[in-house]
Amino acid sequence: MSHASPSSPKVSGMRYHVLLTVLGLIMTLPFVWMVLTGLKPLAEVANESWLPSEFQWGNFAEVFSVIPFFQFYWNSLFVASWVTFLQVVTSAMAAYAFSRLQWPGRDKVFLLYLSTLMLPGLVVIITNYQIMIHLGLVDTFIGLILPSAFSAFGTFLLRQFMLTIPTSLDEAAEIDGASKWRIFLDVILPLSRPGIIALTIFTFVGNYQSFFWPLVMMRHQDHYTLPVGLLFFDSEVGQSTHLLMAAVTMSVLPMIILFVFLQKFLISGIQLGGVKG
Amino acid sequence: MSASPTGKTRGRLATAMVFLGPSLLGFLAFTIVPLGLSFILAFSNWDVRQHNMFKGERIEFVGWENFERLLTHPAFYQYLGNTLFFMMGIPVAIVGSLVAALLLTRDLPGRQALRRIHLIAAGGLVVALGVLSLTGFAPSGMTLLIVLLFGSILVAGVLGRSTVYRTLFYAPHFTAGVATFLLWKKMYNPQTGPINTALAPVVSTIESIFQWLPPAAGTVLATILLGLGLAVMGLFHRRLGQAWRDAEVGRGGLWALTMLAFVPVLLGWQWMGGSWMAPFWVVGSMLTLGWWVLRALREKPFRTVSAGQGFMPLVLPLTGAITGALICIGLAIVAAKLPAMAASGDLTPPNWLADYHWAKPAIMIMAFWAAVGSNNMILYIAGLTNIPRELYEAAEIDGANWWNRFWHVTWPQLAPVTFFIVVMSVIGGLQGGFEMARAMTQGGPAGSTTTLSYFVYIEGFESGRLGYASAVVWVLFAMVMTMTLLNFKFGNRNVND
Repeated sequence: MSHASPSSPKVSGMRYHVLLTVLGLIMTLPFVWMVLTGLKPLAEVANESWLPSEFQWGNFAEVFSVIPFFQFYWNSLFVASWVTFLQVVTSAMAAYAFSRLQWPGRDKVFLLYLSTLMLPGLVVIITNYQIMIHLGLVDTFIGLILPSAFSAFGTFLLRQFMLTIPTSLDEAAEIDGASKWRIFLDVILPLSRPGIIALTIFTFVGNYQSFFWPLVMMRHQDHYTLPVGLLFFDSEVGQSTHLLMAAVTMSVLPMIILFVFLQKFLISGIQLGGVKG
Repeated sequence: MSASPTGKTRGRLATAMVFLGPSLLGFLAFTIVPLGLSFILAFSNWDVRQHNMFKGERIEFVGWENFERLLTHPAFYQYLGNTLFFMMGIPVAIVGSLVAALLLTRDLPGRQALRRIHLIAAGGLVVALGVLSLTGFAPSGMTLLIVLLFGSILVAGVLGRSTVYRTLFYAPHFTAGVATFLLWKKMYNPQTGPINTALAPVVSTIESIFQWLPPAAGTVLATILLGLGLAVMGLFHRRLGQAWRDAEVGRGGLWALTMLAFVPVLLGWQWMGGSWMAPFWVVGSMLTLGWWVLRALREKPFRTVSAGQGFMPLVLPLTGAITGALICIGLAIVAAKLPAMAASGDLTPPNWLADYHWAKPAIMIMAFWAAVGSNNMILYIAGLTNIPRELYEAAEIDGANWWNRFWHVTWPQLAPVTFFIVVMSVIGGLQGGFEMARAMTQGGPAGSTTTLSYFVYIEGFESGRLGYASAVVWVLFAMVMTMTLLNFKFGNRNVND
């Protein structure tokens, strides 16, 4: 780790602790302001001091009565969960076909998948929206979920992971008479667990944050996901900075908690998708 | 007998399709088919206001008309310029990620350093109390809050080592989205936001300093800043000259880079308008450029490189230099105006998102906050830990100092990671900016934060000109492909060896 460590790390190492703390503090300050402003009375928002004169925990409850915040929350969790589930299942199965099965045309189809990784999402979003109009799926959750249920990136990521699993394991299972389906379920899937967890977090967070597609797809306020709902909140009662910050806090906090607990998987996933790519 | 192998192949294909089927169906339905349709659309006049269930005019193919209209539309060039301007933040963000990764991979002292922590915490407390007593205990809550946060991060950092700091750096990236954009929008609020509240005393101090200084002080400061900008560009010009002499860069690469090095010259000229600074800046830039490039051209290097060689590796330092120079120019322009503003007493903190000139920098500052601790930092950390220690030991024996070790060991060893990061950042940057524009500025003021992706959104989903919007998308796509191909053709000089 310490490639350039100086001769006496214990003495000068403290300097780096202080430096990193200062940098970490700067990165954290916006979040601190966010939480504290969410606890202020409206009149104190513009104050020089970030601290409220009294902590108004009621702001957080008020958010739920001003806008259907609970509904937004639920919609986001509902959509993100379904997308994640479907995308992980389809990607894992496709990755198995690309990494373990021999079939004609496999490498060509995989190349087609790979080449779309560079494709800007914008290229297909206009036509996808027209397709949704023709299918009558605008403003429905099915229309929101369906296009994201498949992912070239997820397939690529899991294929990379499955290639690191020794083939002797599934050969042994094959000799024992296991079917391809058994091998997939009992050998490959359990061994790909770290990759699958990483993909799950990526997909879930990506969809929890997703903005463009829900923004154009959803018409009824009851169907808004969190990002669209927050935007709506800002345009409706943008002057109530304290309530908006309470809402923003509640939408950011779950992600921070998620990251703190699952960062081990996430980081190995980033390195897998990145360095090997 | 002959049927059996084909039957086997067919069986294999059937098994594969059971696994691949769901993914492939979705892939065809929501990627390949829309891709083809969108290409066809780009040549049509489909407009939802003309072609809908009430008004069924025929959709016609109009050939290249959409593209012609786009390329002759002045706003397109403004939006393209905005997009490229935002992309100049990329090298700064990459350097930030690298610095963060370098700091995080240091061997930080752990628990055994706790006693030292007590000392530092006590020192911090003394300083804080000193500040408090000086300011009459007025903003005591704030000071205590900062000291408390500082202390807890430091203690947590000592106990948890780099993981703690990594988490803090990564959090802005992980949570980046509409929520944090709205957070920054409120922080940038000129009247009620904390940024201008904090800047107000700083600005009034500057104001009183300039009221006290002679008026010429602004000119002197502007000259110094312009000189700094010239030095930054000059460093790049020198690097360019060296690269030519050492046959790192081919003829085509040299000319392309020289042309690009004119961007800050022209932008600076435009920004400075009729001020005295404009000729100073342009002539100065010409002199440094001419000096280094002509000097290099005079020497006849031993040349084995192809024309385009070396372009991409130098684009990163070039964009970094341009960004640095533009920051200097911007500050110089502000500095030149300071005495007059201070005299009339209307020196105020910027209006950030509501100001034509400050909106872009405001968004870039926020984007920097979100990008330093991004996936790029994680990739750099992995890259740094994979560098063999022997390389550093060998360099140390040769007496290389920290700087030399960085340039001759670390940087070349990280080349594959940097290459990947640059490719992905360029692809992301060209199609970026939509969410920020939609959540923070609506693309304004006066279109100054409208990027190409926001333009697509306006045309495709607000104006309903689907044909035109598709044409914009395909122009964008073509740019992404060109940049990616350029990257792959000229960028991976260090990657494969």
